[in-house]
Amino acid sequence: MKLHFNDITLDISSNGKTFALTLDDKTIQAEILHAEIGKLDLLIDGQRVTAYVSSDNAKRWVTVNGQTFVLTKSSGARKGGHAHHAAGELTAPMPGQVRAVNVSEGDAVTKGQTLLVLEAMKMEIRVQALQNGLVKKLLVKQGQTVEREQMLIEIVDTLES
Amino acid sequence: MFKKILIANRGEIAIRIMRACKELGIKTIAVYSDADKNALHVQHADEAIHIGDSSPKESYLNADKLIRAALDSKADAIHPGYGFLSENASFALKVASVKLTFIGPSADSIRAMGDKAESKIAMKKAGVPTVPGFEGLDSEKDLKKAGREIGYPVLVKAAAGGGGKGMRVVNDESELSESIESARREALNAFGDERLLIEKYIPNAHHIEFQVFGDQHGNLVHLFERECSVQRRHQKIIEETPSPLLISPLREEMGSAAVKAAQAVGYYNAGTVEFIVDPDTLTLRQGSGQGFYFLEMNTRLQVEHPVTELVVGLDLVQWQLRVAAGELFPYSQEQLAQHGHAIECRVYAEDPANDFLPSTGKLLQYIEPRGPGIRVDSGFTAGDEVTHFYDPLLAKLIVHAENRAIAIRRMQVALKDFVVHGVVTNIDFLQAVLSHPDFANGEVTTRWVEKTLESGSLLPENRQQAVELQSLIAAALADLAIDNRQSKIDNRSEPDPYSLWRNPSGFRN
Repeated sequence: MKLHFNDITLDISSNGKTFALTLDDKTIQAEILHAEIGKLDLLIDGQRVTAYVSSDNAKRWVTVNGQTFVLTKSSGARKGGHAHHAAGELTAPMPGQVRAVNVSEGDAVTKGQTLLVLEAMKMEIRVQALQNGLVKKLLVKQGQTVEREQMLIEIVDTLES
Repeated sequence: MFKKILIANRGEIAIRIMRACKELGIKTIAVYSDADKNALHVQHADEAIHIGDSSPKESYLNADKLIRAALDSKADAIHPGYGFLSENASFALKVASVKLTFIGPSADSIRAMGDKAESKIAMKKAGVPTVPGFEGLDSEKDLKKAGREIGYPVLVKAAAGGGGKGMRVVNDESELSESIESARREALNAFGDERLLIEKYIPNAHHIEFQVFGDQHGNLVHLFERECSVQRRHQKIIEETPSPLLISPLREEMGSAAVKAAQAVGYYNAGTVEFIVDPDTLTLRQGSGQGFYFLEMNTRLQVEHPVTELVVGLDLVQWQLRVAAGELFPYSQEQLAQHGHAIECRVYAEDPANDFLPSTGKLLQYIEPRGPGIRVDSGFTAGDEVTHFYDPLLAKLIVHAENRAIAIRRMQVALKDFVVHGVVTNIDFLQAVLSHPDFANGEVTTRWVEKTLESGSLLPENRQQAVELQSLIAAALADLAIDNRQSKIDNRSEPDPYSLWRNPSGFRN
């Protein structure tokens, strides 16, 4: 069977106790020595590896040898790279609370103007316009809590509107 | 001794204080905001009182609510911890006015050290070395004259300041006017006070602070130094003691200066005198008293107090409680000594790859390291939510060993055993600092992190491809294990070792 993490596809077959995992024409032998909640003891190509694993929807957190990786499991349909936001679509660089909204829909804004102020854990981040234009959509209001990468505001070129 | 204490704080420091209380047989009262309803510090207390909304202003910064909670629960005293209201003189006064004990120094001491200009004047009077400069100048003309006299680069900073706000480095007289204006504006916004002071800017400084401790009977000693030069945006990241820079007799000179500084404001309880140390001047100095300068005094317990506790062998929080209750502090300066080396790393929920911005979420896994010489002061456990309302400090990892080299190794190994899933942490970044030759050589100054990040020589430990591949395989096999389990779900007699994602603490869903 096939599993997909980030942009990587793993082809896995099981031969009783051991697994053969193939990626990029390379095949690795692995065995689960012991499994408990959140933790796997594995034998990978003859080497003992302890991995801590957690799942959060499609996200997989894995720690091996003190290094933590965040992987995203996908159904396999490879997307054309990351979903790119248009230049005027501004997203939250961190989770937090919208402390101030300085503009309304329809306002003209200039490059560098502070549109919104986010606050998290005593830090303040100003979300600034990357271009001159008009506020097409304002998707948050003051006091609202936002997630990282959540769309906040959309700015369009004056001509486009 | 007190019978019952209210802890006006949250997180790891509230728990740290509660431990000391329990050891002394004192009952504890926690306070909590909406967001902290299920927080670890609430579970550690004998009683817990809800004080308001998640926003600090409505809860941990609300003096009246805290005092009301203390009176209602019949507490004898309030411990403010660090941050929040710990250095607020009017809070200390209010606590005293309702006949409760404020566990800390007097309101007068807090006030005297709270203003950068006033405290600097007091320190000069007491004979404590301060950075060459001037206080109380108003006009741009006077500041310009002062700048020339001091010699550029200079620093203009808000008298009421803190945390780097209202502070500007001025490299040349042509920049002065604009810097004064913007520093004033920021100071007025942040503190409602636009007074500035001007002083020599020391670019390659070490931040070295001295722990002081006194009782209410006139005994006051220092408990040696802490080197806190590993900083980013004025936030300390790694602290250690002894400082790799200090040797005798400089250590003794700075220690006496710290004691003098504290005595000048009638200090008692735990406090910290911060100095900046100029390594360039140090090499030139010949016991002239030059090379170190008073920066400010923190009139409270510090985040990094554990390194001092380990090396000096005293429980600072227990002693805070005991001297606040009127006991004598029994150790003289001669009886105190440093043993071995201690390092603290602050494990933050922040993402070094995303400009160190905070990371929030539910802790899917949280496993702390253990072993000889390892201490973890933490306010979280698996299943807890890390919210955006408060400081991103997850835990303080502290190690103690017989010397610095062994302590560094011990820290590196301990950090490797620290597993945090659900929020991104700075653990990789801490490892990168610890393994950098500048850190090993004790050559880190307060601007080192910024400079080294810019130059690209401070990168997260090169992610070994082999480890990355192993992680991928682990993720895949864990997923397969679930599928296995699901296909065998009817076979009840079969043991189920593969319930990897169904954690009993209800990590998800």
